[in-house]
Amino acid sequence: MPYHWNDAKSGSEELSLWPHRSMSAKGFVLFMGATMVLWSLPLISVAGTVAFWWMLPFVLMTIALLWWLIQRNYRDGQLTETLRISSRETSLHRVNPRGPAQDWACNTHWVSVHMREDNKYLPHYVTLKGAGREVEIGAFLSEDERLELYDELMERFAAAKSNP
Amino acid sequence: MADAAVHGHEHEDERDFFTRWFMSTNHKDIGILYLLVGGLTGFISVAFTIYMRMELMEPGVQFMCMEGARLTAATVENCTPNGHLWNVLITAHGVLMMFFVVIPALFGGFGNYFMPLQIGAPDMAFPRLNNLSFWMYAAGTSLAVASVFAPGGNDQLGSGVGWVLYPPLSTNEGGMSMDLAIFAVHLSGASSILGAINMITTFLNMRAPGMTLFKVPLFSWSIFVTSWLILLALPVLAGAITMLLTDRNFGTTFFDPSGGGDPILYQHILWFFGHPEVYIVILPGFGIISHVIATFSKKPIFGYLPMVWAIIAIGALGFVVWAHHMYTVGMSLTQQSYFMLATMVIAVPTGVKIFSWIATMWGGSIEFKTPMLWAIGFVFMFTVGGVTGIVLSQAGVDRAYHDTYYVVAHFHYVMAIAAAFAIFAGCYFYVPKMTGRMYPEWAGKLHFWVFFIGTNITFFPQHFLGRQGMPRRYIDYPEAFAYWNYWSSMGAFLSFASFLFFIGVMAYTVFAGRKINAANPWNEWADTLEWTLPSPPPEHTFEILPKQEDWDKGPAH
Repeated sequence: MPYHWNDAKSGSEELSLWPHRSMSAKGFVLFMGATMVLWSLPLISVAGTVAFWWMLPFVLMTIALLWWLIQRNYRDGQLTETLRISSRETSLHRVNPRGPAQDWACNTHWVSVHMREDNKYLPHYVTLKGAGREVEIGAFLSEDERLELYDELMERFAAAKSNP
Repeated sequence: MADAAVHGHEHEDERDFFTRWFMSTNHKDIGILYLLVGGLTGFISVAFTIYMRMELMEPGVQFMCMEGARLTAATVENCTPNGHLWNVLITAHGVLMMFFVVIPALFGGFGNYFMPLQIGAPDMAFPRLNNLSFWMYAAGTSLAVASVFAPGGNDQLGSGVGWVLYPPLSTNEGGMSMDLAIFAVHLSGASSILGAINMITTFLNMRAPGMTLFKVPLFSWSIFVTSWLILLALPVLAGAITMLLTDRNFGTTFFDPSGGGDPILYQHILWFFGHPEVYIVILPGFGIISHVIATFSKKPIFGYLPMVWAIIAIGALGFVVWAHHMYTVGMSLTQQSYFMLATMVIAVPTGVKIFSWIATMWGGSIEFKTPMLWAIGFVFMFTVGGVTGIVLSQAGVDRAYHDTYYVVAHFHYVMAIAAAFAIFAGCYFYVPKMTGRMYPEWAGKLHFWVFFIGTNITFFPQHFLGRQGMPRRYIDYPEAFAYWNYWSSMGAFLSFASFLFFIGVMAYTVFAGRKINAANPWNEWADTLEWTLPSPPPEHTFEILPKQEDWDKGPAH
């Protein structure tokens, strides 16, 4: 599940959300390792000939490109949203993969959670309203996850507001 | 903070024609572009073979004359044989088919269109890189076609050195045609590497939640393994042809014994790339065929996990058998024994695949729709070619068959025609999905039967010719070989007629075919994610990740 509640700190609750990436860091290591081992085969077979030095740059260029592009794909997935709810203040911090981070904060009492259905391409679009702005939360989650997130947000805000 | 915005207005397809097709970053549009350009290049390449079969129909040279290439037969006194033209045509046919037709159609076309859909990804990982790959491929194709018409060896146009570009032929060929061909292969290689990295990243990192590696549909698996082969093999080829280029233009002697070089070294490097290359050609076909057979047998594919491991094993083994293409260059007995045994081992995973396809059909409720006919045809052609492959894998027997028409028959069955069957199976299977229109069933069946009979008449007699000792790559032959060459040419004309008919069928389907208003025109056994989308799919798909129950049907597929 690409989101997770962290209730460790008393008096405040923390929610982290991030987009889905299917390969773990371990998977990356395994894949690159296997690829390197396989790549050594043609290089070993021409080791000692001048052809080795003509193949090496092409192989190295491909390795570099593969490494860089997969890492870049991970970076593109490093979008995270962190929501902190305490009885006094609610804040949302969003880290963008490219571009500056974004922040929103509001007195918890005035925060309202909305689920908008006016967009047929993005059903169950969850937003928070407060301090004169409406901000999205978890737009990158899957449909079911957004439904669950909405219910959980409603519960947590109700609890936070009734428990000053 | 990302202020709430109602996304959705950008989903209207407001792109004009130029933006959509020339600046496309959409994997579905790029897939269609690959299929169209691959098909066009295929037509050029097939036209060359038809001209070659016209020439080979009768002994003696009637069409490719020094006095000028002609379309009507000339008498002996009016025609001086032009061997260079013949060599140019076989070279162009090989280069185009190997680099610019089959891989772009299967890997670039179907791979781009359907791999992201099957794994529930919204697009490729790097959409703009995808666009770059396509246009590098288009530029490479233009260079390859240009090399046929550029000044080349023997003071004529084009270069006639064979698609493997062996030195010293390729280093001594005059003119710039050869250099254009090398650049063309360079560009196609760069395009394939970028495309492969894109596919790998998409496959590894953008699968739908819950779709672990061994739940991925077989076609996507085949595309992933193909990408991996491209990634490992193409840089090696790039090194080899760069050395050719410097040998030709900068006076180096990597492959020239007079300067201490070794032409056999080139053969080793070339085939280290070349053998994986033939698997790059055929593996995506395996994937398509698996889906077609499961759909029309109305059963899940038999032995999903062995099927996946067979693809991986075939890919891995493909890297350790290269020298079976060159038994005759003077390797030691030990080397030959190794390459012979390693080659025969490939029959094991290949057998797993063929028997699994048969077991999928076994006890199934088989529906002989056009894609299914092509799939069964594929299994037949591939098996015939595979069996002659076992024959050729024996170093001793290969002494007799090396560079004869037996080899030509073998690789056309196992790789060329089998790949063509897979492409046609894919076209008929997926054209309703891509266009929202259904092809006329009778036309698809007619195309299949004419092509099946035509290609078998073309290539089966070539086994006989090879056993009689007819060598490859010659414009002419002694009269003793005339009988089966005549039949082979007849088969080629029949196949070409069915190819023209296919173009007509596809044009009719795209512009005037019966509209289908169903996501899935086949049956519930076509259960991968692409069949949950409308036909044709909208511009953007899976912006919202698919749910596991959309694709996880229990028995993996």
